[in-house]
Amino acid sequence: MKQISRRGILLGSLAVPVLGMGRMAWAQSGEVTISHYFTGELGLKAFNDQVAKFTEATGIALKESPVGHEDFKTDILVRAAGNSLPDVFSYWAGARVQFIVDSNALHPIDAMWAANGLDAVIAKPVADSATLYNGSRYLVPFNYHYAGMFYNVQVLADAGMTAPPATWGEFLALCETLKTKGIAPIALGSKNRWPAQFWFDYLLLRTAGPDYRARLMSGAAKYSDPEVAAALALWKELFDKGYFVENANADDWTDASDKVARGEAAMTLMGTWITGYWNGNGLVPGQDYDFFEFPRVKDGVPNAAVGPVDGLVIAANAANVEGAEKFLAFMVSDAGVQAAWANAQGALSANVNVDPASYNAVMQKAAATVAAAEAFAFNYDLATPPPVAEVGLSMFTRFIDDPSQADAILAQVATDTEAAFKE
Amino acid sequence: MADTRPQPRFNPWPAAIFTILCVLAVLFLLPTVGVLLSSVKTTREISMGELWSLPASLYLGNFAEVLGNPAVHQYFLNTLLVTLPATAVSIALGVMAGYVFAKLPFPGSNLLFLVIVAGMFFPPQVILVPLFRLFNGLGLIDTLWPVIIVHSALGLPICVLMMRNFFATVPNALREAAIMEGASEWQVLTRVILPLSLPALAVLATLQFTWIWNDFLWPLIFTQSDSKRTIMIGIVNLKGQYSVAWGVQGALSLVASLPTLLVFLFFQRFFIKGMTMGAVKG
Amino acid sequence: MEQHNRFWRIALLALPLAVFGLFVVWPLFSSFYYSFTNWNGFDANYSFVGFDNFAKITTDRLFMQAAINTTLWMVAAIVLPTALGLMLALLLDSRVTGARVFKSIFYLPICLSAVIVGQIWTWIYQPDWGLLNTLVTQATGEKFKYAWLAKPDSALWSVIVAWSWQQTGLSMVIYLAGLTAIPGDLLEVCEIEGASPWQRFRRVVLPLLAPSTVVVVALSVINSLKGFDILYIMTGGGPFNSSDTLAMHMYNESFKKYLMGYGSAISVVLFLIALAIIGLYFRQLRKVDRIYG
Repeated sequence: MKQISRRGILLGSLAVPVLGMGRMAWAQSGEVTISHYFTGELGLKAFNDQVAKFTEATGIALKESPVGHEDFKTDILVRAAGNSLPDVFSYWAGARVQFIVDSNALHPIDAMWAANGLDAVIAKPVADSATLYNGSRYLVPFNYHYAGMFYNVQVLADAGMTAPPATWGEFLALCETLKTKGIAPIALGSKNRWPAQFWFDYLLLRTAGPDYRARLMSGAAKYSDPEVAAALALWKELFDKGYFVENANADDWTDASDKVARGEAAMTLMGTWITGYWNGNGLVPGQDYDFFEFPRVKDGVPNAAVGPVDGLVIAANAANVEGAEKFLAFMVSDAGVQAAWANAQGALSANVNVDPASYNAVMQKAAATVAAAEAFAFNYDLATPPPVAEVGLSMFTRFIDDPSQADAILAQVATDTEAAFKE
Repeated sequence: MADTRPQPRFNPWPAAIFTILCVLAVLFLLPTVGVLLSSVKTTREISMGELWSLPASLYLGNFAEVLGNPAVHQYFLNTLLVTLPATAVSIALGVMAGYVFAKLPFPGSNLLFLVIVAGMFFPPQVILVPLFRLFNGLGLIDTLWPVIIVHSALGLPICVLMMRNFFATVPNALREAAIMEGASEWQVLTRVILPLSLPALAVLATLQFTWIWNDFLWPLIFTQSDSKRTIMIGIVNLKGQYSVAWGVQGALSLVASLPTLLVFLFFQRFFIKGMTMGAVKG
Repeated sequence: MEQHNRFWRIALLALPLAVFGLFVVWPLFSSFYYSFTNWNGFDANYSFVGFDNFAKITTDRLFMQAAINTTLWMVAAIVLPTALGLMLALLLDSRVTGARVFKSIFYLPICLSAVIVGQIWTWIYQPDWGLLNTLVTQATGEKFKYAWLAKPDSALWSVIVAWSWQQTGLSMVIYLAGLTAIPGDLLEVCEIEGASPWQRFRRVVLPLLAPSTVVVVALSVINSLKGFDILYIMTGGGPFNSSDTLAMHMYNESFKKYLMGYGSAISVVLFLIALAIIGLYFRQLRKVDRIYG
């Protein structure tokens, strides 16, 4: 009995996969393969809805593989290393795309860009900053985000705020008021490191200006410069005065957002995707939450906005280039797709034909803020090469853990980034 | 086994020991109980900071959510499709090689045995990228095959080790007698030796099943479509979707652990016996 | 007869060796090959850089940190699950009521995956509502908000405790197996001769358990060298690399900084360390075998 059943199990277990996996995963002809990170709170369902519109319009099917945001960074590298990139994948515009363009792993889309007249479709500042690498177009901006100071409307009203703080002094005064009322002024969830970067970005941009920051990001300026130390000193002041929540390094960005939503903390410096997260949790834009621009710190510095651009790119060895180009063109130029996607994700569209009225009140304000800004800069980990970004992101968490070590940390980072730029 | 021994030994204070064990058992159970508690609470209760207290009422919505999610069904099916064949194949290969090393040694066979066993010691990340290139060349990426194959290969060292050591305890006279009577080597292995090896097979089945079921790295790298993902990747992926719904996460973790718990309970009685005969002897 | 044996040797070994060679040995050697290049993973063109990657290891601060952490983990792995597992095995071996239930309870964590164990313990260590801080708060009456996983002083140890919680059951089972192999009459004789329980443990039981100890320690060391999954889930090597192990460092360099060549060099070093440990293990096994075998 035992013998029979054992053999049965053995044979059965061998037979099952043969039945279940007869169909190989080769892309059928005409199909476009795509890998992307729009999972979970970043809107898998909404993405699929947009893809369905493309399939309906063109008859081209897509074979998708969604991968979680953090795992995606590894997954796409393993696929590149294994020479099996999908036809299309989502990627962050900036230094990361530059890196794979330099590795000859992407397909230029200049011809497609011209044929579809995308110059007239995509807002020029975004087109200039996000799509051109080594003189060619490689990326279409699927959507973009803006990082601002998102706050709990009720909490700041209770603290007596009538107009958003426009200057650093006003901002410090607001924090002080909140703190005396027993509310943590600023929430931060830097467990995954990147949420801290917006502080460094804005403090540096508001004191040293966009030109200096661009030089720092490219390695022309150094982390031992007084400009960097000055930005870090302002950040340290906020910690010394106790304006940040405790244990920022233990929380996710969603935890920090929850703290603001519950009124335990007043505000958090975050990208516009927070609006998608909050709307999903039933908060009402403009009524429950709103945002203000990062305050002016030093006069005479050009006003810059910070944020990432989520792009779609085509692999250099894509099997279905024609289908992939059609997909990129459709996804970026169809105003219906762009509006629906931007709304679902809490993002902004780079398509000039998208009616701003389709945004909610807060996103309209975000769009206006970006339009009025004198420069649009990518956030830290997209602005500087990946090996350097690794050093910098670790620096931020180390600084948050013990701000009193700022000088020692900067000295260390100066050496490490110099080595990293040589990679 | 334990029960056949004449005297309890090394222990004059059964009551004290029982108490100590109870305390330790509670400490050991606490983390698991936490998940159990979270799985029967509503998101609201948990966000009010009530994760670790006894629930006022049983809320089964989390389990309904998990069990009703078609993606979870697919994850489960995929995990079974990987775990069952990979467990069977790795043990079968271990039996074949182990038998040669134990009963048909040849010059250099011990060295070969050590080389295979050494494979157990390496961090698997070391071979990640070369394997990806290999399977990509074979056109198997985004199927379950690479996961099955890699687990069969990486399970070999432990299976060969256990089976060789177990077979070594089976008297040679048994094999010789069978061969005298005209049995082939294959018949000796399948009819004489294997039926005696149930404890070792049970241990290996438990260990391999548990490891493969719980693995995260290989399916993450080798599969790409959501329809090919296994349950552990599913947990991490769904974590985003249910970012504040800790209760759903708890329920999902429990459901995902159920198969390995059942396998352990089922094979438990073989376990210690198999361990004694297989693992401990060099 | 010899011809017959040869046929069966080849027949039975061919498949296992082919699988092992193709999917374990060959990839291992190809990662050696990449360790001499500056490959970044994306670019099809890369060049040979000789021993540059290995020279870089000697000046890599984070590598040193990771090596220290891996050593700490190994030492803790030898002490914590081994000692606790031995204690549990001794307690359970005394035919205590409900031994079977206890065994299952202590073994249960082994059945859980690193993904789930990591998640459970992240909840335990959570600073605001985690179990640990809740208990401390109740015991002291003061709000306690230490962030166990976010502080460089405690992150690594917090992960090691969670990991030990999971591994103890395995050590216990192996020791239990070793204990059943000790003849009961031997201990009876000792008892009649007037040996105290401690003497019986120290002079008889512990030496006779040496083979089990070798296995338990080896397993702990191997598993600590592989320490990756649970770390990946709980801290990702953070905060600021303070809980990196060598496996984690290799992963970061290869997949986050896109330095495949350098990452491969780290895995070669990891391989050499593993090789040294295997050598020690087999020597120890032979010694134990000679004495007790």
